Amino acid sequence: MAVTHLDLAADRQAARSRLSRPDIALYFLWGMFWLLMLAVGVQDYLRNGGTRLWQPILWEGTSLAVATLWVILQRRVDRRYAVYLDRPWVWIGHHAKWMPLIVLTFVPTVFGIRHGVYALLGERYLHEPWSEVLFYESIKLILFYGLWMGLIFGFDTFAQAQEQRQRLLALQKSLAEAQLAHLKAQLRPHFFFNALNTISALMQVDVPRADRLLSRLADLLRATLQWGDKELMSLRDEMHMLELFAQIMQERFADRVTLSWNVDNAALGGAIPAMLLQPLLENAFKHGVERSRDAVRIEVEARRDGERLYIAIRNSGPLLGPERQDGVGLRNCRERLNVLYGDAAQMQLKQLPDAVEASVTLPWQEHRA
Amino acid sequence: MMRVLVADDEAPARGKLQRWLSEQADIEVVAESQDGLGAAEAIERLKPDVVFLDIQMPGLSGLEVAAQLEQETAPLIVFVTAFDEHAIKAFELNAIDYLLKPYDKDRLLKTLSRIRARPADGSTRAAVATARAQTQSHDRLLVPVGETLQLIDSATVEWLEASDNYVHVHTSTRSYLLRRTLHDLLEQLGDQQFARIHKSAAVNIAAVKAFTPLFKGDYEVQLRNGKVLRLSRRFKDQLFARMGR
Repeated sequence: MAVTHLDLAADRQAARSRLSRPDIALYFLWGMFWLLMLAVGVQDYLRNGGTRLWQPILWEGTSLAVATLWVILQRRVDRRYAVYLDRPWVWIGHHAKWMPLIVLTFVPTVFGIRHGVYALLGERYLHEPWSEVLFYESIKLILFYGLWMGLIFGFDTFAQAQEQRQRLLALQKSLAEAQLAHLKAQLRPHFFFNALNTISALMQVDVPRADRLLSRLADLLRATLQWGDKELMSLRDEMHMLELFAQIMQERFADRVTLSWNVDNAALGGAIPAMLLQPLLENAFKHGVERSRDAVRIEVEARRDGERLYIAIRNSGPLLGPERQDGVGLRNCRERLNVLYGDAAQMQLKQLPDAVEASVTLPWQEHRA
Repeated sequence: MMRVLVADDEAPARGKLQRWLSEQADIEVVAESQDGLGAAEAIERLKPDVVFLDIQMPGLSGLEVAAQLEQETAPLIVFVTAFDEHAIKAFELNAIDYLLKPYDKDRLLKTLSRIRARPADGSTRAAVATARAQTQSHDRLLVPVGETLQLIDSATVEWLEASDNYVHVHTSTRSYLLRRTLHDLLEQLGDQQFARIHKSAAVNIAAVKAFTPLFKGDYEVQLRNGKVLRLSRRFKDQLFARMGR
């Protein structure tokens, strides 16, 4: 999943550094629009008997230059308003607030340049009185600005929808991967293949025992498939699965482990996140039995404390390294509790004088099938 | 006669291998070990020709045991595992023998005939090298203490002194004698931490305090513990380059 996040970030980075496809289309349209304006301007000038072609080109050219400058500035600011694209009026409001500034600067700048160019050529730029120019040009500008704002809104909305679609696809992909990883973790290939090997070893010497182990393994596989996608299950079912798991592990390590169960009947009806405890028991075996040369004692305890359900799994031996405290099993367990109960549930790993204890406390809730 | 050691933490798994191996006329199972340290001790003591090493074992994993062996003198290694995607990929890549649990007799026999056909070639070297690459073998060193073996943190080692096929491993508190070549030991420990200073010695770079030039391009290396060693000019440039001088 982490990789996918990075990919997304990289994509966004790339999108920022180069022109996106809608941007290119927008500038293309902008160019076409101004070619049209220029053509109309020149046509109009010639029809009115004008002979000095540079004049209409200068007029349209100055407007084009200043307007383009504004569009480029605007495009930089637009990104900041992208979050408002799904609320058009807010978006328009944010753009419209720039209008007075544009109107106030556009006409003086454009006409200033024109006057400057005429003066350089030793001529005088003649036009309608300033009041009329200001009024007429401002109306034109406002219409023009409105048209382009609408177009930009359309383009940006489209671009945003595209980006969201991409992100959604990536998200779906990473979600599917996470589900697969979850399934794989539940099936615990290491455990299953080792158990199969134990059966393969036992059937050479003790067929009934091998047969028993095989059906335990089948029961566990069945239960995993049955409960694997459930949110909650009863403590009774959870304990049943733990027993199956423990029986198989005991077959493998009969010479090195003793198990004791201390489960209060009153607690069995409680609801618990499905297969929450298996990783904890697996850890007890993994760190207690598979890592130690001595005989190990494992203890499972469950009871109801008023409005709380308390479960503890202990194994004799020292607390091993940080890898146990931050292992995948424990982390998943914590995350699930956090998602389901928030602060109302706790999971703890602690060192007792002669054992390691993993305990879970969660709000009591009667399980309904 | 092929002398074989079986190492697995599960009694039934050991039993299965032991039974099938014993049926072979040319094979003698000399010992069984139920954890990594025990396997390493048995290899040291009994010098078997072949070791079946389960990867997942208490204390030291099978890969960690293999990583601590001397490449030249290590027995032939067959790794046994239930499910270790990374390790299996590495075994495939380097043509290293391995058995996937559960395996049947045919599969075991195939492995045995491969082993019989193998001349004492580079396959053992590859197995040890792969195991080293798969584990943090440069961080830890397996050393003999009396009759048993013990893991020490390689950062506590100050310098290494070779004599014939042995290496004295000097830490601040004591010295250990390893039956390995300095070359092989340095290959395991990696050149991040240790550097050779002459033909038969290497230092932990972190333990070096100062250099004093002698004549003819040789130097004196002064360690933090006061020990003074000679740095031959053959290794001088390399070491100085590493220490940024």
